[in-house]
Amino acid sequence: MTARRILVVEDSVSMRSFVRNALEAGTAEVGEVEVTEASSGFDALRLLPRGPYDLVITDINMPDVNGLELVQFIRKSERHKATPVLLISTQNSDRDRERGLALGANDYLAKPFTPENLCSAASRQLGGGASPAEPNG
Amino acid sequence: MAEGGDKAREEFLSEAQEIIESLSRSLLALDASLKAGTSDPSLINEAFRAVHTLKGLAGLFGAAKMGTLSHRLEDVLDGLRLGRMDLTPETLDILFNAVDVYGRILQVERDSLDDPLMIVDDLVGRLENFGAEDKEEMSPVVEYDLDPGMLAVLTEYEEHRLRTNIEQGLGLYRLRVQFELATIDKALDDIKERAKTHGEIITYLPTGETTSADTIELDLLMASRDDLATLIGSLGADNVVIEAIPRRGRPSRAPSQPLTTAPEARQISSMDAPSPSALDLADSSDVAAEPAGSLRSVAQTVRVDINKLDHLMNIVGELAIVRGSFSRLTERLRGEGQRQLAAELQRLHRNFDRRLAEMQDGILEVRMVPLGQVFDRLARVVRQISREVSKEIRLVITGAETEIDKLIVEELSDPLMHMIRNAIDHGIEGAEGRQAVGKPEAGTIALNAFQKGNHVMIEIEDDGAGIDDEALIAKAVSQGLVEAGEVPDLSRDEILAFVFLPGVSTRDEAGDYSGRGVGMDVVKTNISKLGGVIDVQSETGIGTKMTITLPITLAIVSALIIRVSRQLFAIPLNSVTEAIAFDESSVKIVDGREVMTIRGTTLPLCRLRKLFQFPQGQPDDKRRFVVVTSLGSRRLGLVVDHLLGQQDIVIKSLGKSLASVRGFAGATELGDQRVCLVLDPAALIEEVLVGVDTREDFARSNG
Amino acid sequence: MADLATNQSRVLRNADEAVREFLAFKLSGEYYAVALTRIREILSLPSLTPVPRAPADVIGVCSVRGLLVTVVDLRRRLHLEEPAPTRQTRILLAATEDDETIGLYVDEVRQVVRLAESEIEVAQSALGGELSDYVVGIGRPRDIRFTSGSSPGGDNILILLDLSTIVNR
Repeated sequence: MTARRILVVEDSVSMRSFVRNALEAGTAEVGEVEVTEASSGFDALRLLPRGPYDLVITDINMPDVNGLELVQFIRKSERHKATPVLLISTQNSDRDRERGLALGANDYLAKPFTPENLCSAASRQLGGGASPAEPNG
Repeated sequence: MAEGGDKAREEFLSEAQEIIESLSRSLLALDASLKAGTSDPSLINEAFRAVHTLKGLAGLFGAAKMGTLSHRLEDVLDGLRLGRMDLTPETLDILFNAVDVYGRILQVERDSLDDPLMIVDDLVGRLENFGAEDKEEMSPVVEYDLDPGMLAVLTEYEEHRLRTNIEQGLGLYRLRVQFELATIDKALDDIKERAKTHGEIITYLPTGETTSADTIELDLLMASRDDLATLIGSLGADNVVIEAIPRRGRPSRAPSQPLTTAPEARQISSMDAPSPSALDLADSSDVAAEPAGSLRSVAQTVRVDINKLDHLMNIVGELAIVRGSFSRLTERLRGEGQRQLAAELQRLHRNFDRRLAEMQDGILEVRMVPLGQVFDRLARVVRQISREVSKEIRLVITGAETEIDKLIVEELSDPLMHMIRNAIDHGIEGAEGRQAVGKPEAGTIALNAFQKGNHVMIEIEDDGAGIDDEALIAKAVSQGLVEAGEVPDLSRDEILAFVFLPGVSTRDEAGDYSGRGVGMDVVKTNISKLGGVIDVQSETGIGTKMTITLPITLAIVSALIIRVSRQLFAIPLNSVTEAIAFDESSVKIVDGREVMTIRGTTLPLCRLRKLFQFPQGQPDDKRRFVVVTSLGSRRLGLVVDHLLGQQDIVIKSLGKSLASVRGFAGATELGDQRVCLVLDPAALIEEVLVGVDTREDFARSNG
Repeated sequence: MADLATNQSRVLRNADEAVREFLAFKLSGEYYAVALTRIREILSLPSLTPVPRAPADVIGVCSVRGLLVTVVDLRRRLHLEEPAPTRQTRILLAATEDDETIGLYVDEVRQVVRLAESEIEVAQSALGGELSDYVVGIGRPRDIRFTSGSSPGGDNILILLDLSTIVNR
């Protein structure tokens, strides 16, 4: 099976690395992955056209284009609307998390989380679906 | 995490260090602004974000003390940024203290020191006393006519900033910007910097509308004390459109405003700073009310970009593909004995079919325009030219109401114009010449259009001198297009076809209008680009008639799907007259060309396997077929391996990089996402039957 | 050579951007890169429909969400060996100057590489023959290692291709 393409949107570099490492080490659960990192909402907008991705993992609280806006953008986009989105939120940001889910995010992960939490959440979203990056016309 | 662990930890520590430094900078700036008696909410938010990120990282990397401290600090800063508590010098002291404590935590973590870090517990204890007094937040947001889509994506903090700004009486504006993705960072920094002096940008929302793959459109929600004119003057640009977001439910004040201020208020695009009175008047509600009122009176018609119609048509095409699955599914259900479900599905299918057909027709209808549009223009040209060349011309138009695809009409204008000029310039004789042969002094050009099946025919007929065969032959021979020795074998039709060869239809003494250079070969090329063909008939002394045959529309066509070797192709049905079994033994060679006889007429053949250079030899199934294609008066039999059936297809053109490849009208997608090439019968007929101007190219592409 | 001269000036003209982004990919075992700004999308290998009588380096057409894309095999254009497709095989969608979207077949996509002007060596006559028409320079990234490269720690060389000469021929 082809590697699943995952876009990780997060403004903290070590948080991104954490997510990347966890996903890349979690092959047994998630399968082979190709992780692309975006350091901001804008970066994500720039990288999305190079998709499609099989999963987008995004922080909510980011400057400028926040995670909620990214979720809405993805859901409105003809190309990406079917892409699952996993939100990363903090424990006490229920309101933002609820909004994210209402906007069409598929699941959320509250910080702090373990690599195992992340991998099982990611693999739930990746499911056993069709092979990735296939034009989903 | 096994291997990446150390490296990741290092990365974490160095990022934490950076964040703590930036926290320190934010606090210093806050201190400065507090002393100056001002407040900058973005600084508090930056500090909040710093500890927020630290908290998240601490959780992931097991830095418990950092986590505890960050958690408490986050509460305090959240209260501050959401306006639940006020920033005091005492609070700042504690925050500065926190920076030192963070520094120690990092040191301990990095050097694996044995320090229980009691200072953290101490600081956390002091932070406990900072309870956020719950300030009730009202919701003045509803006063504004904000797009709910925009409200829904605001984070808690952004929403708080929005409220605060409204409470402070600032106006709201929407900046719709288009940025190149490649340079977006710079563009944003730029607009942020300029916006700073006018107010606060609350959020940046990508609209999802794209004009091209390299640009992105964003809605910036901005709160500002300045009025629209000032903002446009300062921030407006080609790619930045600024609108005031109107307040709801407030009566418009516009009618009662003193007349003197009105003109200034209208100068929205003016770069000058507005006068104080104009500033008052350019209230968001007024600005928005005006265009809204005038918009209601628009006419019953809209102009539509043809690309949008194409897009709709593509969707219809995709739906037509979906439709195919219905029948397959029905069959399957039936096969599995689910008769009732199958019947239900079939009913749905029929309904879907009917609606789809209606939609298809509807869209096609929108694309159709009467040929009269272009004919009117031709009439003006005739009047003008005839005056200038002193020839009296009568233009007789019939069938101007015949409808054809708008795209075709646009492309027809030039070729038709050229043919009319030719007719006036070269066809119709001067007044004396006409009198001498007993024709009426005024020459007649007839322009006839009519629909014939799936095609529209346009005839341009003049009662001039006709085409001079001898001159045409001489020209063709001198241009090396034909050997003098071959001439006696040529039929009159073949001779007349020379008109369409490059370099033939241009006259030695250039006429004023048809001129030199652009000849009938160009006209012919343009017509074939539209999927049409052009024929010429001429009688010496009586006149010339050019006939153009065009498809009605370029969009959806029914096609015959065929297989050659292992590849599928589509042939537009509008040029297919029949498909018959191929009998190898009935093939004869005439003039070096393979032909067969059907019902007493000779049909030239083209073996697609050979033309496409597919592996030769007997195809797997013995039965092969001949698809008879015809355009105008010409016919060509295409020898194919297999017929698969009929399907509606949307023809998409091949890219420019394949423009030189002959024989294809484009490509289409069949149900299985595979691309299927669509044959261009007109081009194949051209290539195989006429041959004169193509033999050379063909040899080249074979070689 | 006349081509090279213009290519060279093109590189120098962009010097006001200190750093340029390239997309690095593998063709027949070597690393190549093109300016990232021209790449719209990266696809895994779709099913291709061959076009009879098309130029030899056009390996077919495919549909990308309804857009018809002509796919060119860069290896064939550059006269390289042609390893069989693997699951790393990708199609880069690139924009031509005419705004046509064209697909470029590559053996593997590596990563985005940021190169400062000082890391770019403008092509002179270093590479002879056909290749030189398409090469704008050689990138020698200082801080990037192609971990799965055949020569670890060895020559970190990226051949920078000029998309416009490739797609516009």
